[in-house]
Amino acid sequence: MIKQILISDPTLRDGNHACAHQLSAQQIAIYCEAADKAGVPIVEVGHGNGLGASSLQVGLSKEDDKTILETAKKHLNKSKLGIHVIPGFATIKRDLVKAIDIGVDVIRVASHCTEADITQRHLGYVRERGKEAYGVLMMSHMASASVLVEEAQKMELYGAEGIIIMDSAGAYLPSDVQEKISALVNGLKVPVGFHAHNNLGMAIANSVTAIESGAKILDGTARGFGAGAGNAQLEVLVAVLEKMGYVTGIDLYKILDASDIAEKKIMSTVPTIKSDSIVSGLSGVFSGFAKHVSRISNEYEVDPRDVYRELGKRKIVGGQEDIIIEVVMDLIRNRK
Amino acid sequence: MSLAKNKIVFEDCRTSCVEIESFSILDNQSILITGGTGFIGKWLAEMISYINSASKVNIKLYLLGRDIAKFKGEVPHLAEKNFIYFIEQDVRYLHDLPSDINYIIHAAGSPDNREHVSDPLKTIETFYKGTQSLLDAASRIQDLKKIIHLSSHQVYGKNETEQLISENSFGPFEALNIANCYAESKRIAETLCSYYKNNLRLPIVILRPFSFIGPYQDIEKPWAINSFIRDAILGGPIRILGNGLTERSYLYASDMAYSILRTLIDGKIGEIYNLGSNTPISLNELAFKIQSLSATKMEILSKSSKENYLSISKLVPNTDKIIKDLNVKEIFTIDEAINRTILWNQLNKNN
Repeated sequence: MIKQILISDPTLRDGNHACAHQLSAQQIAIYCEAADKAGVPIVEVGHGNGLGASSLQVGLSKEDDKTILETAKKHLNKSKLGIHVIPGFATIKRDLVKAIDIGVDVIRVASHCTEADITQRHLGYVRERGKEAYGVLMMSHMASASVLVEEAQKMELYGAEGIIIMDSAGAYLPSDVQEKISALVNGLKVPVGFHAHNNLGMAIANSVTAIESGAKILDGTARGFGAGAGNAQLEVLVAVLEKMGYVTGIDLYKILDASDIAEKKIMSTVPTIKSDSIVSGLSGVFSGFAKHVSRISNEYEVDPRDVYRELGKRKIVGGQEDIIIEVVMDLIRNRK
Repeated sequence: MSLAKNKIVFEDCRTSCVEIESFSILDNQSILITGGTGFIGKWLAEMISYINSASKVNIKLYLLGRDIAKFKGEVPHLAEKNFIYFIEQDVRYLHDLPSDINYIIHAAGSPDNREHVSDPLKTIETFYKGTQSLLDAASRIQDLKKIIHLSSHQVYGKNETEQLISENSFGPFEALNIANCYAESKRIAETLCSYYKNNLRLPIVILRPFSFIGPYQDIEKPWAINSFIRDAILGGPIRILGNGLTERSYLYASDMAYSILRTLIDGKIGEIYNLGSNTPISLNELAFKIQSLSATKMEILSKSSKENYLSISKLVPNTDKIIKDLNVKEIFTIDEAINRTILWNQLNKNN
């Protein structure tokens, strides 16, 4: 029996975290063409935090959503155009209607792992427009397997055609992935997916564990270009899956070419597992905080590792970037 | 377009209403429908409108709902009927009812499971408090002849057999699953009915509805047949989510309305009847049927978390009891039901 895995590539979305949301229209066009040639099924684009998220709070995007989406659409032929949508950042009327009008094919509606309720209207609207709708549970390491199943079941009822859990902090070990993906596969009707981060060097291993536990959807980015220590490296993932007998529909040589192009044309630095990222992963902090923590820690001369530890203790999640400065101030006060 | 849509509904009422003379007993009687502005309420109003016009009886209708303005906007041809009176009220806070009511059909509350998991307390309140408030108010009406309580097939729990579900087949139940708040509150509402029937001698009959399809049912509802029809109207692909071997059955809306009104006349007090179609169809068969009945040919996609399922979910009623006691039968085949629903929704979309 052919074991088909659906690959979604958020290089141009999660990668935006890695360059402070400064990907240009030209860079988007270049990578879309390369990914399309390689046969990547879904190319996800946008601000790191998704549609409508460009703001002082989480970072201003170089290009507006309209430019990003129109550029990507123009340079994708076979690949579907995907977006990441967090209700609150993105509203239906202001953002989603326009995105679908531009030609977005796949919409992944995301919430914090215990707040699936907020996705009902967005998922409903996507299905109403006949587009592919997926539910995404972010920071999934913060909830138990049973809670994730309950939240995912809500998304399934709201119309999600698949549920993806994100290891947003790169905090998982394979045993965690096995436990959570298996529980989701058992508890859901629709396919389950996994989005890895590489803080502890586990992104590929965790992705493999996910599919061996029953997941059918995986995310990967060129050179792992993504928040913090980056994601599962797409070209490695495709090679490993091919070796294991899975079918992705992606041409290995062409995705290797695409990642070479991506490294040259869109990355100022290729993600590596820096010391801070390891502590961030151990502390369970959202990878999208990396640039903010680095900048503020440097400015106030505190050890970013202490900042991550404290953010982890306080269970801070994406969207609470303003707490970073509060933590830094507390660390300075305690030092005195 | 509106006229064409209304014509479909009128013709369907005429087709389903096979013994119109039996409704002469309702001449100069008043019926209250709670949830009167929803899918079931609209169809009951359409059927009564047909009966009033075709058999020259005079049935007065009270429609109780929370948003009458919305109803008037959606079905202006019904809103202007002079036999229909509106009561804008949340059933949970109901106190007094018009004293001339003779029959009640309790259809309030949404079966939409998205709402149940998002607001379980409201779901429980609607069915528990709503039913209690209604039955309290009903107990003060002088000339009340019958109450039809619309329960749900979900009270049966999980069907782990291949059998059709009869009125006494109960399966296991997970009380701690939040999605079961609907089923649990429907069960307590049935227990309330039992109390009011036994202690206050209210003339209650319970119907346990299964799945319906037809005009006025929102194709955005999260149920397989609605999603398939919506996908087909949008040009596809039709997406089967989960196990395609899952079996359901679908009773067409006008057959449903006729059966409810026949229960009002002939339903035996204290009895429970299944209401639905007894013809099973798998989700795979349903998708292929909708594909073949659509003007444009579209792809069918299957998306499932598992390759193999240990058991097949089958929610299909055994309808022997309602057929025997009330002499109702399914007039519309599944093909006709799908055709009529697609046609009506296409007209509605273009309206």
